[in-house]
Amino acid sequence: MSQPSNFPPHNGSAVGARIPMVDSVDKVTGAGKYADDLTLPGMLVGKILHSPHAHARIRSIDTSAAEQLPGVYAVATGRETPVKYGILPIGHDETIFAVDKVRYIGDNVAGLAADSEAIADEALRLIDVDYEILPGYFDPEKSMEAEQDLIHEDKPRNIEKEYHHHFGDVEAGFAAADYIRHDRFECAEVTHAALEPHSTLARFDSQGTLTVWSSTQVPYYLMKTLAATLQMPESKVRVIKPLVGGGFGGKSEVIPLELAAAVLARKAGHPVKITYSREEVFYAHRGRPRQTVELKTGVTREGKLTAVEARIVQDGGAFCGYGVVTILYSGQLLNAMYDIPNVKFDGYRVLTNKPACGAMRGHGTVNTRFAFEQQLNMIATVLGIDPVEIRRRNLLQAPCITVNGLRVLSYGLPECIDKVAGQSDWNEKYGKQRFGKGIGIAGSHYVSGAANPIIRAQMPHTTVNLSADEKGVVTIFTGASEIGQGSDTMQVQIVAAELGIPVDRVKIVAADTALTPVDLGSYSSRVTFMAGNAALDAARNLRQVIMAAAKKSTNAGNQLTFDDAARLAIGPNETLTAAGTYAPPKDAQGGKFKGAGVGPSPAYSYSAQVAEVTVDTETGEVRVDRITAAHDCGKAINPINVEGQVIGSVWMGLGQAVQEEMVWEGGRLMNPGLLEYRSASTHESPPIDPIIVESNDPEGPFGAKEAGEGSLAATIPAVAHAIYDAVGVWINTLPITPEKVLKALEEKKKTGVRS
Amino acid sequence: MSMPVFDVARPRTLDAAIEALARYGPDVQMVAGGTDLIPSMKQGLFAPSVLLDLKGIRGLDFIRYPAGADLRVGALTRISTLVESPEIARYFPVLHEAAKTIASPLLRNMGTLGGNLCLDTRCLYYNQSQFWRESIGGCIKKDGTICHVAPGGRMCWAVFSGDTAPALLALNASVQLAGPRGQRELPLAGFYVNDGIARIAKANDEIVTGIRVPASSAEWSGTYKKLRLRQSIDYPLAGVAVAMRKDGAGHCLEARIAVNAVNPAPQLVRAAELMQGRRYDAELVEQIAHDAIRTGKPLRTSASTPEYRRQIIRVFVRRALREVWVNGHEGAAVCT
Amino acid sequence: MKKESVRLHINGKIRELEVEPNRILLDVLRQDLELTGTKRGCDDSSCGACAVLIDGEPQMSCLMLSVSYQDQEITTIEGVADGSELDPLQRGFAIEGGAQCGYCTPGMILTAKHLLARNPEPTDQELNEALSGNLCRCTGYVQILASVRKAMELLRAKRPLEVQPR
Repeated sequence: MSQPSNFPPHNGSAVGARIPMVDSVDKVTGAGKYADDLTLPGMLVGKILHSPHAHARIRSIDTSAAEQLPGVYAVATGRETPVKYGILPIGHDETIFAVDKVRYIGDNVAGLAADSEAIADEALRLIDVDYEILPGYFDPEKSMEAEQDLIHEDKPRNIEKEYHHHFGDVEAGFAAADYIRHDRFECAEVTHAALEPHSTLARFDSQGTLTVWSSTQVPYYLMKTLAATLQMPESKVRVIKPLVGGGFGGKSEVIPLELAAAVLARKAGHPVKITYSREEVFYAHRGRPRQTVELKTGVTREGKLTAVEARIVQDGGAFCGYGVVTILYSGQLLNAMYDIPNVKFDGYRVLTNKPACGAMRGHGTVNTRFAFEQQLNMIATVLGIDPVEIRRRNLLQAPCITVNGLRVLSYGLPECIDKVAGQSDWNEKYGKQRFGKGIGIAGSHYVSGAANPIIRAQMPHTTVNLSADEKGVVTIFTGASEIGQGSDTMQVQIVAAELGIPVDRVKIVAADTALTPVDLGSYSSRVTFMAGNAALDAARNLRQVIMAAAKKSTNAGNQLTFDDAARLAIGPNETLTAAGTYAPPKDAQGGKFKGAGVGPSPAYSYSAQVAEVTVDTETGEVRVDRITAAHDCGKAINPINVEGQVIGSVWMGLGQAVQEEMVWEGGRLMNPGLLEYRSASTHESPPIDPIIVESNDPEGPFGAKEAGEGSLAATIPAVAHAIYDAVGVWINTLPITPEKVLKALEEKKKTGVRS
Repeated sequence: MSMPVFDVARPRTLDAAIEALARYGPDVQMVAGGTDLIPSMKQGLFAPSVLLDLKGIRGLDFIRYPAGADLRVGALTRISTLVESPEIARYFPVLHEAAKTIASPLLRNMGTLGGNLCLDTRCLYYNQSQFWRESIGGCIKKDGTICHVAPGGRMCWAVFSGDTAPALLALNASVQLAGPRGQRELPLAGFYVNDGIARIAKANDEIVTGIRVPASSAEWSGTYKKLRLRQSIDYPLAGVAVAMRKDGAGHCLEARIAVNAVNPAPQLVRAAELMQGRRYDAELVEQIAHDAIRTGKPLRTSASTPEYRRQIIRVFVRRALREVWVNGHEGAAVCT
Repeated sequence: MKKESVRLHINGKIRELEVEPNRILLDVLRQDLELTGTKRGCDDSSCGACAVLIDGEPQMSCLMLSVSYQDQEITTIEGVADGSELDPLQRGFAIEGGAQCGYCTPGMILTAKHLLARNPEPTDQELNEALSGNLCRCTGYVQILASVRKAMELLRAKRPLEVQPR
């Protein structure tokens, strides 16, 4: 105990430690501040006028009455701020407020800032908009037939983007198959429903600098988009991310209120805060699109995959958002899970007159994974192969590069499968329980960040700065965004471990574009791998800086503790600072074909899950009794947080599997609230047993890769499979409501067919 | 959405409340727990100029069940108090079972019996924000002329979604009202109006003060089955309440069944009378279930389809009757 | 609209302020009293993020008119810790990862506090039932349940031996 930890060799004890999150006291005491908790002197309430029509031309907007209402400081409309933006460089199709046209019920028509919410509401009612109604497109297949009144004039047939990929030779693959099946899957649209509604506070200071506090997962992109749309230099825009009450992808692109607040603050000459109502959150949306998957898979008699062909259509809503990435992920990540030699993919991202879809936990992979795993289980059933075994027969031989150019180094899937099968007593239960009780298995995977950045620039994806003082206190300056997933804690643990100091000696300043270096944001599960690697790199560099300085005053060399070294190192001319960066290696960046940029990642996480259910055969109700989830996260920097992410992903997948759905009537959302969009209560939430599998990725920080999203996708097919095992029906449409189960049971009784 | 502007009157006595109701006329609205009215006010469904906050009225928060007498429960009794009452759990199980399914624990700590009985009728097209409703041109219940659920007709099909009412119907309860013309008591079956707009036969200047359950309904077996997609928070998508008095051999001596959340009013199922004098009989149960489905006429007022809600009513009637009729008389069930 | 003088008993202190009668307690707490630990999640009583204790019982402040809650003791999350000493529930939530994004946490802790005050050793079913009106979108409730159990353990250690359950 008295022996100080050696320095420079890291002792690593902080990595793998089950420590509380570094911001946990702020959260349990209520002291922590989220965007809507912030106030500034003279602050006004901002509100947005939304379109009541799904598709209409704006003939005119008369804001004069609203402007004259006492207590109203500013009113803004689309004509004033026509700069187009979007999260993807190829998808700049949004404006802060609608210019000439509205494209969905809830679209942003005008904004205003007033002394109080009541005045703002009254002023909204005084804005007179003259609309010319246009025909709306609500179904992607029909939307693709459109010849006129296009949603965006530059998108013929209302197709945002289509991709046609062919790797290997699927015809030869199907010819070599002994069994081919073709199924159609439909997945309803779901949304993040983070408990914190979006909120943004914007202020211009006397120097003309804009500061924005916002509930965002992407402060850096927000800063850039604010500068672009407000036509200001980036040096005059500062974005600060306070605590964020859940993201799940819903705050991973720029959301209209963030820009509207800034526009209004500039116009009003006062700070302006806009906080969405829960209903507005549903219109801002950016969740998982409704998706149909027509899937054709060929296998040999032994169950070895020979070819896969998928036609995927996504109902993307009225704007691109992340849509191009979503549709690409849905095809590209058919691979990197199993060994599939021949793959064909036809993907259509289609525009409709509904709120834009975007990235949601498991971005792009979830619905395709449901279809694939469900079909694999169907195939196993038909061929009489155990579903666990059929997966073992199709494993990748990692390290490898898939037919579509994805590099897989660490591959914990086999261990995940073994562990969940073992812990759930698979062999004793599968096909052996009473009618109504079932068990099912499925797998999934996900990227640890995208190997290619959204913005086209050759720069690190993350930079982390460190500074130390003579007491050995280290401060991390990082752009990475803590959104509840443990980003800050992860970096503190990595730095502490590398320097061999206690975690409470490490402070962290994060996600403030004026103080912290560039990080691309918290999305695509990139933070542990990328910010973690940058933090590790910075810590290694800091160690060298301090050692070099300390050696000037001692001969003790490598036997110094960090504390001694820091004390010795400090001198009138020493700066104990260091930076670290991360950029993915070239050989992880994928192939050269159109669309090849999406899918490649420096590392993939793997998950296998077993779900156990009880089905009420009279009501169709499915009770999920337990889910066992093994997740290969490479290395658990903080096992509590990894378990929390795995459990949370499983639970969110379960919601999509059996309960959650955005219900549309044409372009009208029927359930824009938490009463009717049914996020599960404790009662529907089963015990979830996480199993951490550590494959030690060769490039991950301490071997770590993603943990926050990859488990979600496996839950849905595992539950669907368990329902089949329980009552003998495959349900291929999500969510698997009691009504659908009951209908399938009746159908089965009528036809007597056991599929 | 901001709240409308109003004043709050907080009477301390029933008389003062009645007097205030008369004074403010149609501009006044009553509130107790606020669990129904406040969200609706935020949605712009109501904009009274005066809110009469009943919570401070003394003497309306009680559960009285003197031995051998009628059960009386004050309108301001909170749902959680109702759930925790050992007398109600023991002697009026159907009411206990129904009360404990209401919304969530937090809401049960706020909502009152009176509020639950007077709950506004609900519909997917009505319980929406002002913005949402305006985008569809309102509905027949509020700011419009069309019922989107049954577009041809002139009727509002919003459903009654309280859980205690069907239980109390099954117990043959009465509701007590007080107003400027004095007090009166109505059988609960006469209190509800099968019209989503009219809803209840309470005059605007009357206050529900409580309920009375006749002593003759005590110790009836009973249960309540509630359909919801989330087992907390949600309003019912369908509900079936059953109360039955049996003899020692499992004969039904008297029974009532009520369905709710499928019509603008909770309703008794007529065919329940057929059980009188009979022991459990699966065929009879099917007949009653069939009548229950005919009594409940669900339309597309909620997340679940009418077809499914009808199917579930059938299942619920079967299960509830099996539970209350057979329980303790398993032998009788086997004989039939 | 005329403002009214109200006296609210919050976290053991009397707070006197002028409010319009239509003001919702949640807004008054957050905007007038800067007690922003109480969160707005849905604003229609579906989520429980705005829960406060009213005379020790969890209720939702998004449904309350502030003028109507002058006679009762209101406890917000800011009133749970004993000075700088965290409540066992707060410790439990920190230790077991019960707070991920932290947005449901205040409501969860207050609701659990009421439960443990009445029933120090709840069964899993009782725990599930008590928390069933508080939505969480991060944890699947698994680590929240673990957090409450951790708090029970901490409380058990503090209780005199004779009242410990067998």
